[in-house]
Amino acid sequence: MSRPFPYTYISCPCADTPVPDPARKRRSRESPQKPTPERNTETSEDQGETKQPNEKGQDEDEDEEQTFDPRSPRSNFSLYPPEQLLYCEDCHQIKCPRCITEEIVSWYCPNCLFETPSSMVRSDGGRCGRNCFNCPACTAPLAVSTIENVTGNSSGQGPWVLSCSYCLWTTLDIGIKFDKPTNIRSQLQKMTDSTTAPTFDARSRQGSRAFGDLKSPLSNFASIDEQSNAGERDAEQSSSKEDATPTPHLGAEARFAALKNFYRTQISETSNSPNDPLSSEFGFSSPGALNRLMSLYASSSRLSGLYGGNKKPKSKPPVMREALTASEGLRIASEDTDTALIERIPSSDCGWDGVASITQRTEQSPDVRFVDELLPLPVLLRTKRAKRCKSCKHILVKPETKPQSTRFRIRLIALSYIPLPTLRPLAQPSASSISGLGPTPDLNALSPLRPYHVLLTLKNHMFDPVRITLATPSVTPGSVATKVTVLCPQFEIGANSDVWDEALQNATAPLSDRITGMRGGEKVPEAGKVWEKGRNWTTVVLEVVPGTLPGTQAEDGRASDIDIAASLQKDEDVLEIPVFVHMEWDAEAQLEQQNVGKASKPDDLVARELAYWMVLGVGRIQASL
Amino acid sequence: MSAPSNLRHTQTARPSSPHTPQQAPRSGNTSFASTTSPGSTFRNEDDAIIFEIGARWLRAGFEGNGTPVCAVGFGPEESRRVGDYRGWIQGAAGNGPLPKPLDAEDWVRDYELWQPDLRKIDLGLLEDKIERLFRETYNNYLLTDAGSSRLVLTLPSLMPHPLLSSLLSTLFSRWRFPSITLLPSATMSATAAGLRSALVVDLGWAETTATGLYEYREITTKRSTRSMKSLQQEMGRLLSCLETGEDHVAQGKDVISVGFAYCEEVLTRFAWCKPFAEGGEEPVQSVRTVSIPSPRNPAQEFIDIPFSRLAEPVETVLFATGIPESELDDEEKTIPLLIYKTLLALPPDARGTCMSRIVFVGGGARIPGIRKRILHEVSALIKTYGWSAVRGKAIERQRQRMEDLRISSLSIQSNGQKQKPPAGKNGESPAEDEKIEPSQEEPEIDFVEQKLRRQNKDTPVPVQGVLREVESLGAWAGASLVTSLKLRGMVEIEREKFLQNGLAGATRDSEPPVPDRRSGLRAGDRSSWTLAGWA
Repeated sequence: MSRPFPYTYISCPCADTPVPDPARKRRSRESPQKPTPERNTETSEDQGETKQPNEKGQDEDEDEEQTFDPRSPRSNFSLYPPEQLLYCEDCHQIKCPRCITEEIVSWYCPNCLFETPSSMVRSDGGRCGRNCFNCPACTAPLAVSTIENVTGNSSGQGPWVLSCSYCLWTTLDIGIKFDKPTNIRSQLQKMTDSTTAPTFDARSRQGSRAFGDLKSPLSNFASIDEQSNAGERDAEQSSSKEDATPTPHLGAEARFAALKNFYRTQISETSNSPNDPLSSEFGFSSPGALNRLMSLYASSSRLSGLYGGNKKPKSKPPVMREALTASEGLRIASEDTDTALIERIPSSDCGWDGVASITQRTEQSPDVRFVDELLPLPVLLRTKRAKRCKSCKHILVKPETKPQSTRFRIRLIALSYIPLPTLRPLAQPSASSISGLGPTPDLNALSPLRPYHVLLTLKNHMFDPVRITLATPSVTPGSVATKVTVLCPQFEIGANSDVWDEALQNATAPLSDRITGMRGGEKVPEAGKVWEKGRNWTTVVLEVVPGTLPGTQAEDGRASDIDIAASLQKDEDVLEIPVFVHMEWDAEAQLEQQNVGKASKPDDLVARELAYWMVLGVGRIQASL
Repeated sequence: MSAPSNLRHTQTARPSSPHTPQQAPRSGNTSFASTTSPGSTFRNEDDAIIFEIGARWLRAGFEGNGTPVCAVGFGPEESRRVGDYRGWIQGAAGNGPLPKPLDAEDWVRDYELWQPDLRKIDLGLLEDKIERLFRETYNNYLLTDAGSSRLVLTLPSLMPHPLLSSLLSTLFSRWRFPSITLLPSATMSATAAGLRSALVVDLGWAETTATGLYEYREITTKRSTRSMKSLQQEMGRLLSCLETGEDHVAQGKDVISVGFAYCEEVLTRFAWCKPFAEGGEEPVQSVRTVSIPSPRNPAQEFIDIPFSRLAEPVETVLFATGIPESELDDEEKTIPLLIYKTLLALPPDARGTCMSRIVFVGGGARIPGIRKRILHEVSALIKTYGWSAVRGKAIERQRQRMEDLRISSLSIQSNGQKQKPPAGKNGESPAEDEKIEPSQEEPEIDFVEQKLRRQNKDTPVPVQGVLREVESLGAWAGASLVTSLKLRGMVEIEREKFLQNGLAGATRDSEPPVPDRRSGLRAGDRSSWTLAGWA
């Protein structure tokens, strides 16, 4: 794992409650009546097989007997560093990003720290509307600067460019200069705007029509090809000559606008019913609707039969047609663009670096292919978000609106409620030096089958003392079986009282305790005994015997480390211990409850408990012994 | 007279009737105004958010926009633990050579959200991934509160129900979406090309689909496993060979030793497709050499390889060059054959319309030269076989025999002399004349057709019967277009109804009574919902 060893992760309990699938529920309700008819039918064996483990898994979930497996791919989504978790005081539960809902408080640009009003966010496309740009090539922020070599002075005259100080990309590379150093975004927009409709000639349309006239629906391509090749060529030539100019400029946005316009006019031309999509919300309010209703009654079948009903409608209702011209958004693929691409890509002036990479392209408009088509990217805005508990809607986090402020009005982080776990290796008692400490083991290379002692400290931030019970599987899940023993699984952590209390207590405490504390190296971990204890923290010892990696031969061990590492699955050699933490404490009842009830009594305490899985990343196991 | 014709009748009067001015196009920022101002009462006034989700990429943005706000890919980086920044420390994963060659299937597994083969998928994990993906898209790119506005999903019309169910139940249970609309991606691609009927060829990740659309309805879909995934694997094999120094990709070698990201980079930058060569002449470009980052050490070294080698994977995977058609299984047809078969499966009228409206979408459509090549090959297929599905030696022989019969009878009549049964018909001119296929004959002059045409002079005659390619803006843009026109989707799943019964609550009726747009009725009361094409 990326975090330096040792590290701790906490699994949010919400992972145990799977996404409720309503259909699944219904299926299980139905199942008693007809016991799994799928099994008998011709559905393949495999389906049944995969279903069974699933069912088994669900049953185990219900029993809550399953050990948490930090290696399962799903655990990646439920494990969080302790400091990222929140706590809901109403549900008395840990809350992770998955079990909260978020509301945006404010939008701001991370570059200039200006707040963007909510009405502007959409029109700006969620990006900074000022001068903040990122380099399209390397994503570093761009600076507005003058072209000094053009004017020869740096007095702030002359054209301006955006330049990247990291990769030295400038807007000159794509041939863009700005007149003013302000409002670059709108200047850029004007220069690259593709939505202006290209000038349009009706000739191409006629050409295609003449071309279309030649076709009959069933005609074969081949025959038509021979017949109309000349005509087609002509039509295409004429149209391509015209299209050649607008087409490259008709970017995705412009085409989209053209299409939208086209569909809009088509809809309004062809549909006069009140169900016209634009007015559908308004029911019968339009005169068109009334008229339609009236004529519906007036010309009912019998009446129309009486009064010369057999007169034919003069024209058929207009039918929506497809887009026919480039101004309506149609684009016939041209033959030459691809040929030009193939020509250009291997050429010496393009090559590998001339073609935009995937990451560069994902940020750009979809047509972009080469580096010189990349446009500077306005900085994406960021948001400050308030967070609520998903189940009780209680606010958990509420930041201040101002982008410059890092303060929060409300912030219920989990660490003020659950003990902070920290891990550190215990210096190995070395046989050679009797008095001194042995070296602390290198956590990046734990040798297998050798006992290590790890100190787990839990620090309480609540003002009540907490009773903790730790549980861990004796052998870690996964292919590398590491034996783990918690030497003292049950202990208590003191309240987070005033710091002075500790000083005062320690003054009265017997000196011998402190002395042994200082000479920790001589202490021997003992089963059932707390290693060390302070005002609001307690340390216990975990004995860990790392298992052997698959492929390690105990005897020869000659296989090179690289081979073994290669044969391993990803991170299989990382030693992670799942620990189940169960904490109990007597909390003071809520204030309002107290007031409603009788006068506060000292024994007016509520027993609370909280249980969750925690993952301790101890280190990486060495391949060789 | 029947009622429908009456309705039509009333329609004719319409243009003269008083007409409410069309509502002005709504401005882009209504969603923000509506949340604050009490004036607007419709929750639907919020701009819908459109997601196009596939096995490799997700596109998201607001309705009415031409391009999505973001396109997000999936990879191992996206499924790391929170606080695990390894990707930033070591550089993007999958760039360098792999420590150990991987099986081609395992190689791609981490990079796809789902696979068509559901037996290998942990749906719980998929739900986790979807949840994180949507949450981060909302937080990083869309910058609105998730769940406040309608959601429109563009999905391929063939979507396994467990996947669909997982997707929908995750979205509904995680956020408070009032409703989710599903739109079929093939139809949306056609809409974004401005077409009503089309043959949409989606060169997608797991499979290539060719969908025949007629008047916005999917008529036939055919699919092939020759797709971007196999292309990526083939490119991976090629680069692995370059790494080990082998000259040619060994047959049956199915391990890949280069990084996925590196391979994808090479593929998207340099993969190309040779033009259709009848005479077998090599194009000029193939003699060029290009330098690509060396598979051994992509960060620092470059190697020179002939540009033509980078066209090889496309040839082998998508066109199956060198493999006779008879060797190909039904699900691994080459792309030209797939298109031909799809066209063949269409009724002739629809075929004529669709073949001149071929739309290529999907990641593979970006490979330079590929679309032109496919169209050329399809036209070659049409030239050889016409529109007949019947192939084989037996039918050849039979046709031969029929011709012989005719010729022999002719010759008996003419000079009373018997002719040798088989062989050598080529030189004879009468045979040539007779052999003209019905499709190649000069079409009879259809008077009705001509009259009709004369009548609707001002309505342009649609292009038909020639192979033509139309470019589309893609399924996302189509969905955005449709949604912004306030057309209601056929499949609109409301929150409460889904949460009661899930997918099982959908009516089995795949074709619910279509509300007649002209009849003025609102689209039903929506008391029951349907999965339409997805059922």
